Amino acid sequence: MSATLRHVGWVLRGNPVTALAAAGATALVLLAAFAPWIMPYDPIASNVPKALQPPSWDHWAGTDQLGRDIFSRLLAAARLDLAIAASAVSLSFVVGAVIGAWCGYTGGAVDRAVGRVVDVLMAFPLFVLAMAMVAALGNRVENIILATAIINLPFYIRFARAEVNIRRDLGWVEAARACGDSHLSVVLRFLLPNVLPAMAVQISLNLGWAILNAAGLSFIGLGVTAPTPEWGIMVAEGARFITTGKWWLVAMPGLALMLTVLCFNLLGDGLRDMLDPRMRT
Amino acid sequence: MRALRSAGRRVGGRLLASLPALFGVVVLTFLLMRVLPGDPAVFFASGPTAGQEEIEALRKELGLDQPIPIQLVRYLGDIAHGNLGRSLTTGQPVMTDLRRRLPASLELTFSALALALSLALPLGILAALRPGSLLDHAVRLVCTMGVCVPTFVSGLLLVYVFYVVLGIAPDPTGRIDIFASSRPEITGFLLVDFALMGDWEGWWAAASQLILPASTMALFVLAPLARMTRASMLAVLGSDFIRTARSLGLAEGRVIVVYALRNALVPVLTITGIVFSTMLGANVLVEKVFSWPGVASYALDALLASDYAPVQGFVLLMASIFVLVNLTVDLLYGLADPRATAA
Amino acid sequence: MRIGRRGGLRGLAGAAALAAMPRDAGAQTRAETLRQVTGNTINTLDLTMPGATRESFGIGMQVYDRLVAFGKKPVLGGFSFDHTNIRGELAESYTVSPDGTRFTFRIRRDSKWHDGTPVTAEDVKWSLDRHVSANSLAKSQLQISNWVSPDQFRILDPMTVEAVLAKPDRRGLMNLCVPYVIMINSTLAKKHATADDPWAQQWMKENTAGGGAYTVESNRPGEQLILRRNDAWKNGPEGKLPFFRRIIAQTVPEAATRASLVERGDADLSIDLLASDVPALQQRGRVKIFSTPIANGFTHIAFNTRMAPFDNVKVRQAIGAAMPYEDMFQASIFGRGRKLYGGNWSELPPDASFPRPMPQHTDLARAKRLLTEAGFADGFRTTFSFSAGQAAAMEPLAALVKEALARIGIQVELQKMPDAQFNTAQAEKRLPMFVDGATAWLPETDYYVRLYFTRDQRWNFSNYNNPEINALTEAAQFELDPVKYEAMCRRMVGILAQEMPELFLWQPNFEAVMARNLEGFTYQYYRQIDFRDLSRA
Repeated sequence: MSATLRHVGWVLRGNPVTALAAAGATALVLLAAFAPWIMPYDPIASNVPKALQPPSWDHWAGTDQLGRDIFSRLLAAARLDLAIAASAVSLSFVVGAVIGAWCGYTGGAVDRAVGRVVDVLMAFPLFVLAMAMVAALGNRVENIILATAIINLPFYIRFARAEVNIRRDLGWVEAARACGDSHLSVVLRFLLPNVLPAMAVQISLNLGWAILNAAGLSFIGLGVTAPTPEWGIMVAEGARFITTGKWWLVAMPGLALMLTVLCFNLLGDGLRDMLDPRMRT
Repeated sequence: MRALRSAGRRVGGRLLASLPALFGVVVLTFLLMRVLPGDPAVFFASGPTAGQEEIEALRKELGLDQPIPIQLVRYLGDIAHGNLGRSLTTGQPVMTDLRRRLPASLELTFSALALALSLALPLGILAALRPGSLLDHAVRLVCTMGVCVPTFVSGLLLVYVFYVVLGIAPDPTGRIDIFASSRPEITGFLLVDFALMGDWEGWWAAASQLILPASTMALFVLAPLARMTRASMLAVLGSDFIRTARSLGLAEGRVIVVYALRNALVPVLTITGIVFSTMLGANVLVEKVFSWPGVASYALDALLASDYAPVQGFVLLMASIFVLVNLTVDLLYGLADPRATAA
Repeated sequence: MRIGRRGGLRGLAGAAALAAMPRDAGAQTRAETLRQVTGNTINTLDLTMPGATRESFGIGMQVYDRLVAFGKKPVLGGFSFDHTNIRGELAESYTVSPDGTRFTFRIRRDSKWHDGTPVTAEDVKWSLDRHVSANSLAKSQLQISNWVSPDQFRILDPMTVEAVLAKPDRRGLMNLCVPYVIMINSTLAKKHATADDPWAQQWMKENTAGGGAYTVESNRPGEQLILRRNDAWKNGPEGKLPFFRRIIAQTVPEAATRASLVERGDADLSIDLLASDVPALQQRGRVKIFSTPIANGFTHIAFNTRMAPFDNVKVRQAIGAAMPYEDMFQASIFGRGRKLYGGNWSELPPDASFPRPMPQHTDLARAKRLLTEAGFADGFRTTFSFSAGQAAAMEPLAALVKEALARIGIQVELQKMPDAQFNTAQAEKRLPMFVDGATAWLPETDYYVRLYFTRDQRWNFSNYNNPEINALTEAAQFELDPVKYEAMCRRMVGILAQEMPELFLWQPNFEAVMARNLEGFTYQYYRQIDFRDLSRA
């Protein structure tokens, strides 16, 4: 255990960018967690006479079309965006890992059937699939999560399936089976834990991607509905003001979005380096 | 000869094997579109006096008055005859629209991919040569930053800076200057067409329209390409045959380009294939921002209008391209690594 | 081998040069070309086709003539249509019989179709017959004023056509001016008619058979359409030719890009910019802006008056008193429009005009009281919908509605719906409360009320059914006595103010942003550009 920690420490020291990303991600999660206590204003209460004011001491990030404080909205949005990304990714991760592992272990007809479904999903243009699903189910938060999870699912299934498939005939798995463990228990207790770390790297990368996906949906009008603060919709609304010189409307949420995705992506990269010795020269 | 025949058989086999997936895509899209709560007949029968009568008439004309299984069977029959239906948004047959718009999307995607590769390969190689160095981290940071900005934001910003403020980019409306008097129609790829006609002024006009949207897209895919190049270069550089080559005293440049890069290309090729298919489907937002008359923005407009036929046609097209790209990548493997063919 | 390939290439290039569009030989300068950028598309060249977009109406006005046309009147910075002043277009002159049932149209002697053949009474009769017979948008439009059968149109002589109504109708003549009632070159159209399609509707979607001021030079649906002036056109006011020789109508989906294009002078005109862009453009002063409230329309919040709790008039009145009208007006359209709230009257309006400011005022105490009287002292839950296509203006408005109603205990869930879904739910009367815009082509009070507040049909947004209103609209249509008509209209508007099936908010501005040297812009009721009126100084 301490060897692992030491290894992590060594990697972080050798890779300052990853260390920074880890710190950033932590700070972000903390900010989101304590947002209700940090927010200087109510993120939803309008104050139309103070609409569209540039950043100032009273409003660090300026105000929007309804005179709402953008800084407070950014904090409130951090909660929602992280929640959307985290639930979407964990949903596809859990479901994908279980289905993939089972297919990889048992093979046969079930495996082939699942494989066909995955083929169909993979052949879809993903963003359009997400758009169609949200349009069909209604643009609520839970549907955006579901759509994001489904378009991620094939990758997790394939990944888990492949990893389990190479391991299922290895000696220690045979040994477990010989000891009388049921198939279910072999998969859950021996195979999955071995596959999870590699998959965990994907999670971090996917978190950033899920946030961007939600932002893209907002841009074409299929995102979260007002007045809920969400970065994507704030960026999309702010983008309308780019030519009018009211830069803070797009720059502030854009920066928040970018930094968050950056942290998660760099973190994911770093984690991959840690886990994959071949890439860690 | 035998190799050729076996390759042919492999291609045929792969295409046949992809048919069930394509069929699944068609059926799934069809059902998904019917689940949409919007009724295209109501949406399009929206003249100032459109009443129930017009809505019913339009519904009948679209075949929407039939039960869904019958509609599906009809649709499959139509596809078999190469008929993808008619778009209500443009009033044209979907097949015509797609044929006209696909070259625009492909040209944009190819240009973006070429641009991205021309940056990602050198950057990835540089990073791999000095792993852990400041340069390595800088490359990583810069590439990753590209993925972190939504394309609609980076696109709008590029337009704002280069068109509105600096005024050096041409107006961001489509593929060619609207006042240009002639426009060749040979392949639909403007760069190719102008080159064929030897009209280099026109070629430059088309190319300069491409620069901003292609850059926007390239920024977004830089990271995966550069990262994969770096990773596979690292793996190759650490291997025995490179060490041998170096110990034999071969020039460093020759070792890297001829021996290492060629071997490192296979995984890069895989990721390029994936990136290409993703880009083609995901450049909806870029096409919107730059008024690019491509297939993705066409599908988006149709989707928001619940106009079924174009969306279904688009998804089928994308899925087919996905299959073809995978196949091409497979065949290219053979060129990059002869062992893959033997296996 | 190599030579062969090169030869082949050259051959290909030669073929391409032939296939390419003909060069214009510099006949048309940039100054005589107008480039319009729009977010929408033209989906048919036959604007009577069900499903035609509004942009198609605009193009149809240029390519086809009608028998008669609305005049125009000056407004601040330009002109506006005038439906009370009707001139002949393809008709050189017209007469109306004293009882108002017979209209006689004399066709212009030297009028020619685009293909050079002369216009005859046969053509006019065939066109009118098509509009009342074929399944098209024209048919339902003409029904409004009781043009329903080909028997109503007769050829008196080769250049004269008579149209007869059973009863005098206020909108009998007016309705013949609307975009749908195009005059068609019947000889040409009939060549493309089939047994299944006697009115050549399929062919006319992609081809034109008109005689209007412009012809279609090229059309790439979803990208651009180019019009070329018909130099033989003589049907304009005083027979004048339009200024612009060539019109490019280009689709540019991103509104911010359209604004930049016009501001930088690369495009000449756009009429669908975001309200948020216009003040900034105005401030920088590099473009000319023509703004006028959409006089024949209104933005409104509709209640489903047959769905609880909105079937209770007190609930509607309570919501009417709870709305923060001023804030909504600023946040939604930046105050760019004419207010339809805050009217200073009760019971009966001072005159018959409509839309007009209604007696709706923000008064929270009154709202609470009304809600308690209605039996909802603790409020209730409901939804408030708007379409994604209008989100730029409606999203801020919806947020304010939600906030305001929470103050009187009503919990609102906002629903932003893709346009097609929104329209479907609206048409099926599934939405309890929503915000939308509405326009009427023939801006007469009784017509608005009949269109938006009677019968089971698409545009009765509030699903409203009031026997007195029904009776009044039935009668007013045929009422030619101005005094009686005015009394009827005032009564109708009074009922709407009292019953509040809809809350009237404002008439947003129609904003045309154009190059500074463009002149003569005319606001048209179909909210498109009439290129024939425009010129460059």
